[in-house]
Amino acid sequence: MAGLGRGHNSIKSWLILVVVLSQTLLALGLLVIGILFTHRQLRSTLDGHIQAHAMSVAALVRYTEDATGNVYFDDSLMPPSVDPSRPDWYAVWTERSGLLTRSANWPAGFEIPPNGPDHWSFTWANIRYRGLRLFRVPVLDREEGSAFHPQTLTIVYASPTARLDQQVKHSGFYIALSSLLLLAVTIPLALWGIRRGLLPLQELAGKAALVSSHNWELQLPEEIQQIEELRPLTDSMSTMLERLRHSFDQQGEFLGNTAHELKTPVAMLKSTLQSLLQRPRPLEEYPAGIERSLEDLDRLEQLLQWILRLARAEQWARGALRRDLEIIDLTATCEDAIERMRALAESHNTTVHLSRNGPMLFRADPEDLQLIWTNLLQNAIRYSPEGGSVAVVVSWGSGGGAQIIFEDHGAGIAPDHLPHIFERFYRGDPSRNRATGGFGLGLAIVKALVEAYGGSITADSTPGKGTRMTVVLPAVPKF
Amino acid sequence: MRVLIIEDEPRLAENVARSLRESAGYAVDIANDGREGLFMAESNEYDAVLLDLMLPHIGGLQVLHHIRGAGQRTPVLIMTVREEKESVVALLNAGADDYLTKPFDLGELLARTKALIRRGKGHPSPLLAVGDLELNTVDRSVRRGGRPIGLTAMEYRVLEYLAYRPRAVVSKTELLEHLYDYNWEKFSNVIEVYISGLRRKLDDGSTHQLIHTLRGQGYILQD
Repeated sequence: MAGLGRGHNSIKSWLILVVVLSQTLLALGLLVIGILFTHRQLRSTLDGHIQAHAMSVAALVRYTEDATGNVYFDDSLMPPSVDPSRPDWYAVWTERSGLLTRSANWPAGFEIPPNGPDHWSFTWANIRYRGLRLFRVPVLDREEGSAFHPQTLTIVYASPTARLDQQVKHSGFYIALSSLLLLAVTIPLALWGIRRGLLPLQELAGKAALVSSHNWELQLPEEIQQIEELRPLTDSMSTMLERLRHSFDQQGEFLGNTAHELKTPVAMLKSTLQSLLQRPRPLEEYPAGIERSLEDLDRLEQLLQWILRLARAEQWARGALRRDLEIIDLTATCEDAIERMRALAESHNTTVHLSRNGPMLFRADPEDLQLIWTNLLQNAIRYSPEGGSVAVVVSWGSGGGAQIIFEDHGAGIAPDHLPHIFERFYRGDPSRNRATGGFGLGLAIVKALVEAYGGSITADSTPGKGTRMTVVLPAVPKF
Repeated sequence: MRVLIIEDEPRLAENVARSLRESAGYAVDIANDGREGLFMAESNEYDAVLLDLMLPHIGGLQVLHHIRGAGQRTPVLIMTVREEKESVVALLNAGADDYLTKPFDLGELLARTKALIRRGKGHPSPLLAVGDLELNTVDRSVRRGGRPIGLTAMEYRVLEYLAYRPRAVVSKTELLEHLYDYNWEKFSNVIEVYISGLRRKLDDGSTHQLIHTLRGQGYILQD
């Protein structure tokens, strides 16, 4: 479509332009070839006539009655011109005595070109002629006798080509006229064909316009699906719609989940305030009630913050956010996270072991990594038995990326819960319940953040033995 | 009356319990997860169960299935965050008697719970009458022969329980089961104290007594 001008953004007008241009070119070509061919044909016919006339002129040269071999020209039997309305020229030379005769209209000063083909074209006094030169033509009028000396003639015969030109012009006119008539039939036919051929595109556009957030189905008739040229388009449209529908559903689900999750803290706050108002109470009960309400509000606020954090992480995972990232040491961020969780670990009487593998450089926001590590650590510490230990192993993964493992020796996660633990608001397993504020968002945020950095997280767990979370971060994060 | 609240949000459960205790005089037990809730529902006799759906260990719907599967007729009110028609239909079909979507109004929850208990006892009307004795379960007022009678909270609870089952023998154990929550030590002689207090107040100025004692079996409220 590079040939399309700026104003031609329509396939239809482009195709019409091509068809009309090619048809016109075809008609012009036919016209030129037709004219050339007719001209050649007519000229060769004219050449034949001229040849015949020249031979008739030759036939009028006769020997004298004596035996000298002298000749004379008998013009009493001279035939009419090739074109009776325009007189021809002729001249005859004999071998021995030179010019024998020439037509009355032979122009003075006309030079016959010494060489070149027998037939040639020339213009004299603005009139176009076709000429013929014949050399060594024997005198046809034969005499018997030993003393007879035959001689040969040179004949030049020329005829105006006005009639030929006229005929060529006429046939050109007829060819052009018939071409135009044919164009008048074939161009509408081609346009009709183009319009018909483009109908499936219009229908496809019509069907595509019916797709909306309420109806994701692209319902195409069988005949459109079977069009070879449209198949890549319809296939990719269907795939795109499927993906759109999926992310739309996800968004809707997220919104629905969020709204539902918000209801519980709101219900809490409301019930606290209502029970305070339910009956007259001693004055000193009110500050306590207000304090409880504030606690409820804190919890609501916390949930909102978690939801926002998750939304941001998921947005970023979809490439919506870009930040200038610094290069940091993964191992150092793990050490920081362990330091931050020290109080929690001590209160659980749990020890955390970190096995390092030297500095590991990674391009990331240290806050994001902190959030990932502290969430995973918090879970590991909380589910460790009293006096247990948590292992954090930082190493190079097999694919050249970094691998960070958090392993506890707690109760583990039941197999039917394991596939769902990264889902938003999933709290199916109560032992995972209150780990991250009890909202069921911590692991969802961890997963979204890890994926935002192009990494992956997997959970392995044996009930009764413990849980192992494995984070793999690519050597060079993709963005 | 004794009510069980199965709700994993302790603050919400506590608020609801407080409201039921203060405004209706019910004994209230709280379970914070499905497993504990189911255990309590199976091991005690409740007059109503308030059940949250999103519960740790065992989900609310499963608890409901277990309760109904065991043939318990205790009225169950579901407290849910979902208000879609399908989920409501599924809940009612699973044996729930009523539902309320969070966040709810405590007054409405209270009224619905009272109505559930009334229907569960076969008395849709909030007014209970045995002979010339009248109880209004809404404002917890008691009259005998048109004369208002002032009762203590515990006395009213004993009388209300008896009034829901007129002419039936109610044992001391049954009374204890339905009047005290899990955290109370249960001494049967407390009941005797309340009964004698009730007799004194109810029969004052009347020719015949309403509460009869069947030795070794329990009490009957009848004209």
